[in-house]
Amino acid sequence: MVAIMWIILFLVSLPSFGQKTENFYNVDQEIRIEGKIQNIVMEPRYKDKSPFLIVTLEEKDTKKLYTVEISPAGFFDQDFHKGEHLAVTGSLTSSGEMENNIIAREVQSRGETFILRDKHGFPTWRGGKGLMGRKGKRKGKRF
Amino acid sequence: MARGEGTDGQKGETKRQAFLKKKDLFLFFFVPLLGIIIIFFFLSSINRAYIKSKVEDLVKEQLQATAEILKVNISHFLSENYSSEEIFRFYSGEENIYYMALLDDQKKILGWHSRFEGYLPLSQKDIGERESWTIDSPAGKIFNIFTPFQATDSNTYHIYLGYSLESLEEMIIHSRRNFFILFGIIVGIGIIFFFGIFQLQNHFRQKEKEAETERREKERYKEISAFTSGIAHEIKNPLNSLALLFELLAKKMPDEFRQDISLGSGEVKKISRVIDHFSASLKPLELKKEKFSFKGLIEDIQGSIIKEEVEIHYEEEGEVVLLADKGLLSQALLNLLQNSLEATDSGEIRVQAKKFRKNILITVQDSGKGMSEEEIKNIFDPFFSKKKDGMGIGLYLTKKIIESHEGKIECESRLGKGTSFFIQIPGG
Repeated sequence: MVAIMWIILFLVSLPSFGQKTENFYNVDQEIRIEGKIQNIVMEPRYKDKSPFLIVTLEEKDTKKLYTVEISPAGFFDQDFHKGEHLAVTGSLTSSGEMENNIIAREVQSRGETFILRDKHGFPTWRGGKGLMGRKGKRKGKRF
Repeated sequence: MARGEGTDGQKGETKRQAFLKKKDLFLFFFVPLLGIIIIFFFLSSINRAYIKSKVEDLVKEQLQATAEILKVNISHFLSENYSSEEIFRFYSGEENIYYMALLDDQKKILGWHSRFEGYLPLSQKDIGERESWTIDSPAGKIFNIFTPFQATDSNTYHIYLGYSLESLEEMIIHSRRNFFILFGIIVGIGIIFFFGIFQLQNHFRQKEKEAETERREKERYKEISAFTSGIAHEIKNPLNSLALLFELLAKKMPDEFRQDISLGSGEVKKISRVIDHFSASLKPLELKKEKFSFKGLIEDIQGSIIKEEVEIHYEEEGEVVLLADKGLLSQALLNLLQNSLEATDSGEIRVQAKKFRKNILITVQDSGKGMSEEEIKNIFDPFFSKKKDGMGIGLYLTKKIIESHEGKIECESRLGKGTSFFIQIPGG
């Protein structure tokens, strides 16, 4: 019983806000990389938010590995596959434990472009009147 | 079925009016309306821009005040050794704060909080140049402030704040909506108002034209009347002398010449009668109105015209009492009935009368030969007659009498079926 109380106390005392400093979209650190998908996972990135689709990308020239944060997994309806080519424009937020982490703003795959954030990093899935979804050959499927 | 009326329109005049209508529509309707719309739009835009600017100033002031309060509070929390995460937790419930960050004196982020995943639009470019600025986001305009403060530990910190301008946006949307509603109302009222003015102006102009035409017609008629009366008078005097001469000749001449003299005398009398009718038709009518029963009037007329083969039936709805010139109306109806009797070999003539509002509607319907369309067109013209010995004055005078009572007369006819005259006369 005492143990349960400690657990509850621990959970309550957890900050509901205050992500790691490196984990915001830094507009001054925008880069574009292209490479092959090495791994695809879903993992929580922000407190009290849905898990994100995370892609590990091997940069085609340097062979360096990048962790690309796409969007909440439920929001993204495109299937990625290992070995597939991907071009990402986003903010490089590497520091400390999150080495070579990229928050994606725009993803290009199989001739389609997916707009995930606006130029300031506002997430598309949070609505508003901004550009939403994909542009390219395929049309009509809402993203 | 052919139909004739007392008045005719002129095509040329109608075309000219249609042309003026288009021009006037532009001058009296579109130009003033467009002017009002432009002025309204211009003033409204200035007003909205002014309000927007004022509200933005107010919001900025409010935000700066909020930032000042935050500085004091955060400074206090820092002195109490609260972590940046814990500090931001206190402000996480603030709906108007979209994001905030705490930075050290080197402008390195110590901690941050955002309502949106990974959204902290802080650029070093913005920091260096100004203390406050706004950015557009899909969630609306966000007011940004970046300001330094000194904590109680003497260290310099910076606070970065993104403040929602939702209330301002809502107000602008509300203002815009009100503008369009007002704009629509003004346009609607303008259309109704100017259309009304245009119609009124058009109506007055048309009436003015009619009055002018009528005045000219009257003047012309007066001139012709004076001229023809003079001629009639000049003819009548020698005719009277001629008639006396024939009478003297008839007394003095032997019997074998009397038939010829009688024929000559008859012709002179005929000419004299024509001139009398002509003079009568030219004289302006002076009405002496009185109240009388229409039924009595018809009975009097029926007594003076009899044709055995033709029956005259009179019907009325309720008692029809008229306020009119009895003598003139009697003459008008006598002319109509005589015409109907002459056109009907056998059968009946129906006369109907009824009161309708303040008018009396009279119908004279025969089952005679009827008339062609061409005849109907000219039936009320002076000196138009189908009869060999007719002078064509009767129906002209009838129309004149009815119109002098401010009434109107129409005629419908079918060849071989009969003719109907419809009279509407006020004074019921």
